[in-house]
Amino acid sequence: MDMSKFKAMFLTESAEHLRSMSTLLTALEGQPQNREGIDALFREAHSIKGMAASMGYERMARLAHHLEDTLDGFRKQGEISPAAVGRLLSGVDLLEDLREDISDNLPERDIAEFIEQGSDHPAVAGEQTPEPPAAGGALHVALSLQDNVVAPAVRLLLIVKQLEVLGAVEQLSPDLEELSAAGRDHRQLQLRLKTGLTPRDIEQAFADYPEILQLRVAATAPDATTRGQDRRRDDRRQGDRRQQGVAGATVRVDTALLDRFINLTGELVTNRHRLQTALGAQNWRELNEGLGQLGKLVQSLHGQVLQVRMTPVGSITERLPRVVRDLCRKNGKDVQLLIEGAEIELDRTILEEMADPLMHLVRNAVDHGIAEQGTIQLRIWRERSHVQIQIQDDGRGIDPQKIRQRAVEKGLLSARQAQALRTAEVLQLICRPGFSTTEQVTETSGRGVGMDVVKAAVEKLGGILLIDSTLGRGSRITMQLPLSVAIIRVLLLECDGKLLALPLSRILQTRQIERQELRRSGKQLLIQLKDETLPLLSLRKILGMPVPPAAARISLVVMKLFGRKVGLAVDRLVGHREVFVKKLPPPFDRLRGSNGGAVLGDGQVVFILDVQSFLERRR
Amino acid sequence: MAKRVLIVDDAQFMRELLRDIFEQAGWHVVGEAENGKRAVEQFQLLKPDLVTMDIVMPLRSGIDALSDIIAAKPDARVVMCSALGQESMMMEAVKAGAKDFIVKPFQPEQVLRIAARAML
Repeated sequence: MDMSKFKAMFLTESAEHLRSMSTLLTALEGQPQNREGIDALFREAHSIKGMAASMGYERMARLAHHLEDTLDGFRKQGEISPAAVGRLLSGVDLLEDLREDISDNLPERDIAEFIEQGSDHPAVAGEQTPEPPAAGGALHVALSLQDNVVAPAVRLLLIVKQLEVLGAVEQLSPDLEELSAAGRDHRQLQLRLKTGLTPRDIEQAFADYPEILQLRVAATAPDATTRGQDRRRDDRRQGDRRQQGVAGATVRVDTALLDRFINLTGELVTNRHRLQTALGAQNWRELNEGLGQLGKLVQSLHGQVLQVRMTPVGSITERLPRVVRDLCRKNGKDVQLLIEGAEIELDRTILEEMADPLMHLVRNAVDHGIAEQGTIQLRIWRERSHVQIQIQDDGRGIDPQKIRQRAVEKGLLSARQAQALRTAEVLQLICRPGFSTTEQVTETSGRGVGMDVVKAAVEKLGGILLIDSTLGRGSRITMQLPLSVAIIRVLLLECDGKLLALPLSRILQTRQIERQELRRSGKQLLIQLKDETLPLLSLRKILGMPVPPAAARISLVVMKLFGRKVGLAVDRLVGHREVFVKKLPPPFDRLRGSNGGAVLGDGQVVFILDVQSFLERRR
Repeated sequence: MAKRVLIVDDAQFMRELLRDIFEQAGWHVVGEAENGKRAVEQFQLLKPDLVTMDIVMPLRSGIDALSDIIAAKPDARVVMCSALGQESMMMEAVKAGAKDFIVKPFQPEQVLRIAARAML
């Protein structure tokens, strides 16, 4: 069989298992006697082993098997030693490396050294059983079928397959070849089953098989009945119920959701007939009602399609405790990470985009926010049609004076401008590209690594980044993100006879002003908005369109560009629409200045403008 | 929610019989297919919880269709339906990933028991 088509699935699933192992290990460090945790960890290693082996990734399978054996030792002790957690985490890292090798089509890297290290340190590797693992935990299984069973050999083969799900089948008699040989009606079977399950578990698994006349299961090792009694079939099933992962391009969908799709499709078909009939009969009232129903169906379909794309935030936060732990180890700090709201769901595109920025923020908080000991709170919650992700630390906070100084040194601002800025505005400076490029700067500013990247990621998704900090009390960074990116609200406007769209999330307000309200400072036109003076830019000019003399009334869009409020003059404000954003096909997707396009209800195509990136291109 | 089954058999009589058995037990018969080729198409489209698959059929045999289905979805639950005396084909089907088999003539309780077991 061609296994290559399963590779993507393997990569996605193994990533999920590995993340889960990291999470479990980090948690176990604090509660070394958590049996369920150790069991769950064992099952994860077991799953990885099975998957890797069936795909033929030999080293990954061998390493997973090694970790599984180590964990089995701890299962017997009922406790995991703190020293071992570190080694197991390194093992998980190595598995991740192997997974990457596989993903990159490289040969799997060497693992012999890691495995040897383990055998040198028995205290770390967990107490070894006196007998090799094959002898411990094996059950002897013997069974016979009823006389009236049809195709008994096939039935026996099915039973063997069922047993293979429960453990490793050994010493099968008659063996598979004999079983499948034509013309032989075997009705009896004997085998050894290497498993953590008890004889009772096995008997129960075959409780609903009236084809079986007699089933005898006995332990072959003295400890086989006592060990692993907590590992029932239900447990195994729970272990198999994994969270959806964001890695890879596949997504798991609840079958109930697919059922709803099918039902909806059925209703759409019915609706089409209804409309057709109404049209044929020229029954306008019926047609109108049918259209109303169509509207509801489409809305429902849209909601459910979005649901498919929704993934819990937990899928990107679950690796964070591990990151914090490793950083603390390295820097000798004691930082507690509290996560609240990991179950909140977000569009998976958004989650993929936010995974690295979130990691940056947590790293920053540990590295630069917290001096020695402290708490980082990561809170996620929904607010109307947005999701807020907030990360707060109780560390040093950001010193605005140092940032002012730095901005002046960097030539971003004059000393006077720097002093005139309010604290809130000063904090925004750390998101300027190039504000902090060296480690030393981040040490003085307290934050800075990749803040421009974080901000860009948030804004690319149509979100907003807020920074809030009190010197000596800590910092708080809030990211407000839309629930989904595919559908957004836009403001339609006209320029030089062309219809264009701006994401509503980027617009602060729209208004019309009289020409005589304009003021001038050098070449720059200014507008007065309550107590603020804003520069006035012309969208026509930005887009390179002909600029006619200003009309008596000017339509304005107020928005932020590069962190500054500006007024943008347009020909005409057309109105709000909800549009489905389509990415531009390559090579147009590489053009800056547009986030994509949308088709309006009347078939007109509009481009969604990203004015800031347009200006960046021209800078 | 009712479990969803796709019935594959070239004989309409057999399909009707199975449909009756399943529907009376509260299953939802989501579709029928009269040959192996159609069975694979219907499986992809309807994504049923369970497929009952006749072995000897025109266009594509039940075993070919089973292999296609398992290749597309390795954990698909397919129960083979066969007549007496087709042991070797059943053996082949089980090796190809069939979850179980039922033997004609069908007895409702046998069909339902094996279907329920395949769902575990």
